[in-house]
Amino acid sequence: MGTSITTWDNVTAYFTFADSPIMLALFALGAAGIIVGLIASIMKHENEAFDKLK
Amino acid sequence: MDETTLTLESLQAQLAAQQSTFEMHQAMNVEVFYWWCTAIMMMIHAGFLAYEMGASRSKNALAAGIKNILALAVIIPTFYLFGWWIYNAFPSGLIPSDASAALPWAASMGPDVSDMGTGIFWAAFALFGATTGSILSGAVIERIRVSAFLILTVFLGSAIWILAGAWGWHPDGWLLTDLGYHDVGASGVVHAVAGFFTLGVLINLGARKGKFINGVAQTIAPHSLPMTLIGLMMIIFGFFGFLGGCIIFNGGDTGWTTIYNTPTNLSAFAFNTLMGFAGGVIGCYIATRDPFWTMSGGLVGIISVAAGLDLYSPTLAFIIAVCMGFAAVWFAKLLEKRGIDDAVGAVAVHGFTGFVAVILVGVFAGGTPNMGENPEISFMGQSLSAVIMALVGFIPGYGLSLLLKKLNTLRVPESAEDLGIDEVELIAKPYPEASTPASTESEVPNKLANVEPQGV
Repeated sequence: MGTSITTWDNVTAYFTFADSPIMLALFALGAAGIIVGLIASIMKHENEAFDKLK
Repeated sequence: MDETTLTLESLQAQLAAQQSTFEMHQAMNVEVFYWWCTAIMMMIHAGFLAYEMGASRSKNALAAGIKNILALAVIIPTFYLFGWWIYNAFPSGLIPSDASAALPWAASMGPDVSDMGTGIFWAAFALFGATTGSILSGAVIERIRVSAFLILTVFLGSAIWILAGAWGWHPDGWLLTDLGYHDVGASGVVHAVAGFFTLGVLINLGARKGKFINGVAQTIAPHSLPMTLIGLMMIIFGFFGFLGGCIIFNGGDTGWTTIYNTPTNLSAFAFNTLMGFAGGVIGCYIATRDPFWTMSGGLVGIISVAAGLDLYSPTLAFIIAVCMGFAAVWFAKLLEKRGIDDAVGAVAVHGFTGFVAVILVGVFAGGTPNMGENPEISFMGQSLSAVIMALVGFIPGYGLSLLLKKLNTLRVPESAEDLGIDEVELIAKPYPEASTPASTESEVPNKLANVEPQGV
């Protein structure tokens, strides 16, 4: 773990996993999953709430 | 002074050091400028929050608010995931070009000591996207499902508008290179696209229960008109961040330019933003004498001149804004006569006004040259571009909302609409100590309503 650098000399992208596109892609997938999950959970909550009105 | 410091080599070294310091501070100034533009744009969302909650009846006030907050929260990450890539990949049309540096797994999409531009421009564009997505939000209050709204707003705020942005708001966008498109303040790429997307959604969503009785439009009064007015003024404040973010702060000796690389400055924007605001307020006030529309007139005025902020004489901008104040009210009445329930007038204020604003640049500034080989601004180029913007918004808005409607996931059930979404979904009351019951009808006459029964 940690950032992608070992020295501040001639540094460019220095954030965590900047040197690992695969890890960054996995994080992106995770972030996308959270958004999809959020909307799905809202939809589920709405369905349950509306069912109680029947 | 020590004579050894006066050698040519030492002077060159000092000059190089000063140049390096100057360039660093210039890059930092660029960052500072867009940082504060982005911060001021957050006020747009505070404004949307206040005015949509105020425009709702109290039984739906919190649902309107949480819908607005969540819109901001989902558009920002989705704009990171694919919105920025769309902007950089699609300037030439629908076939993507190489924009791998804008993908979410690129090293350039994060903290980078050598890149003082990407993050701050991404942030400004993400807030443009959030503004675009929020334009839909007010129109659909009190009957849309939050889940459906979030799906729609992600498409609008992180994909649809930025595709239009790539075409018409990018130095290599095909609308610029082929048609000479000019829209410095995003009248078309943000407002027209969002407004016509909203129209497509409203057609499928339908009106709020009680809005039309025997074909006659009724007033569903805001539960807090003062909150609505304050919210609209907060949006106006935020517009200064939005429009500031539309101008390019260049390094070197270039100075300010438009997004099309033509020279301009903040003074030009200042003249016409304020004159547009004033004109829009006056036009809508005279047209309606209505507080909500008077304040909305400020938005109409700015949007009506935003496409040509850098080109208009201030008095012309004022006159355009006054006239568009009248025209926007007329268009809102027309929509209502057609059975469209736009709770906040978003289609008229943003869609119609943005559409006409793009054309007006062709009317009043036709023949103005663009840079390089790009064609000059023209009436035909602006008109065709305005139609493209409207279609880019309307087609996906209509199609996606139709799909959600077919899946029975677009609108809340009638029983939930009667009780109020706050009570059914959020199990919360905005004013728990208040005893005034919610009502679908109002004693306040509808100043925009058609008087003759219409087919709904």
